[in-house]
Amino acid sequence: MAEPIVRISHLNSWYGRGKGRKQVLRDVSIELAPGEVLGIVGESGSGKSTLAKCVLGMVTDITGELTVNSRRPQMVFQDPYGSLNPVKMVGWILEEPLRAAGIKDKRERRRRVEEFLPLVGLEGEHLSRKPAQLSGGQRQRVAIAAALIQGSKLIVLDEPVSALDVTLQAQILRLLSDLKEELGLSYLFISHDLAVVYQLCDRVAVMSGGGIVEEGDVDEIYDHPKHEYTKKLLAASLALD
Amino acid sequence: MKKKNWYLTIGCVLTACMLIFIATGFLWTPYEPSAMNAADRGTGPCAQHLFGCDSYGRDIFSRTLEGAGSTLTIALAVLAVGAVSGLLIGALCGYYGGGLDALIMRLCDAIAAFPSVLLAMVVLAVTGPGKYNVIGALGVLFIPSFARLVRGEFLKYRDRDFVLSAKLMGVSDCRIIFVHILPNTWPVLLSGLTIGFNNAVLAEASMSYLGIGVSAQEPSIGYMLKDAQAVLFTLPWCTVFPALVAVLLILGMGLLGEGLRDRMGVVS
Repeated sequence: MAEPIVRISHLNSWYGRGKGRKQVLRDVSIELAPGEVLGIVGESGSGKSTLAKCVLGMVTDITGELTVNSRRPQMVFQDPYGSLNPVKMVGWILEEPLRAAGIKDKRERRRRVEEFLPLVGLEGEHLSRKPAQLSGGQRQRVAIAAALIQGSKLIVLDEPVSALDVTLQAQILRLLSDLKEELGLSYLFISHDLAVVYQLCDRVAVMSGGGIVEEGDVDEIYDHPKHEYTKKLLAASLALD
Repeated sequence: MKKKNWYLTIGCVLTACMLIFIATGFLWTPYEPSAMNAADRGTGPCAQHLFGCDSYGRDIFSRTLEGAGSTLTIALAVLAVGAVSGLLIGALCGYYGGGLDALIMRLCDAIAAFPSVLLAMVVLAVTGPGKYNVIGALGVLFIPSFARLVRGEFLKYRDRDFVLSAKLMGVSDCRIIFVHILPNTWPVLLSGLTIGFNNAVLAEASMSYLGIGVSAQEPSIGYMLKDAQAVLFTLPWCTVFPALVAVLLILGMGLLGEGLRDRMGVVS
């Protein structure tokens, strides 16, 4: 088996300092293989977002072992209204990751952006628009393109479709799945929506109270949940469907 | 449909008129502003002297032209000192936060706790009057309000997802501050600038009125008002016209700022 792209063992993490210091992650161990999609599910406050931030290197108050074998893992955020700079044009937003990567030649950046557009289903005319002039789905496509254009192999998806309506959800999930195959990506997919997780993920880890309570292949978890909490989550999502 | 932005229209027209008026004063005045003409002492507004003459026989129109120019120059310089320093301090404090931020903000509170004209008077009592001392003193006193304004904006934006995303891409802090966040603060900054400009005009006028501002060789609007108060009832044109120019200048700028903010607010 290939070297995992993320390896976490016995990870603990805290939030705040002094007396208000609270433990958010408790003894989390998990691995993500290249090309795999790992779903992290759990209700809000379960520590799934903190786990994602740890992988992105944004949490410093940690103990345990955390290895990430990818240069600059990127993130796709839940709300494409907030994750795109409202005063910049799409072309600028997509060029910025390349600028940050040190590509100084403007024509080279333009060429790479234009090359990337069809991959995410955008067109050249979108480049000269501001985020407010795009639809929610187009905006999320721009956010995905911006996350991928630096060539990172590891992408954290933080509820990337839960702000979109159901038809758009299916489109964006399809797009994410295609991009994964085409570019050889690995996803860490954070969600509370088990139906969405089921569509995209290979494996699922269920989190509660800062720890992983159950982990396994997606079919196994859905068909034979072992932990009480997983059963409750499944029952809740089925009741909604 | 969008409502017509009257503030912007009127503000633009008024400001443009005032700027043309002031620009004229830099290039040409009908009479030498400080030349005294004994024959014209106390003359009211007439064809030769549009705004009349003061008790020394100096042409008020020429003096207003020159005075408005010096008031505008000082106000802009004060604004430049205050806004640029305030912007830098506010941006750094808001973006990084922490202990230094708390310290600087308390310092700003301390400065802002005093009426700015009073503090400027203290400074000028030490350094002596004069154009550059006025600019320096008022400029420093204008820093806290800008710093606080900009800091608030940066606090608002620094945890937004687009900033987080830029950090993940490896964009430098300096670039995040000036290229990613700063353009988002323009609408707020712009209204801050217009209010600041108006305050600067008023502060300069009050200081000159109190006799601690510019010297007699380069009269400003405030200085003229101070000069004219003795003859307020006998030669009212000495007060009315300079004051009118100051009011129009402030009004125009205020409306312009308000209108621009409305307009930018609607678009973004």
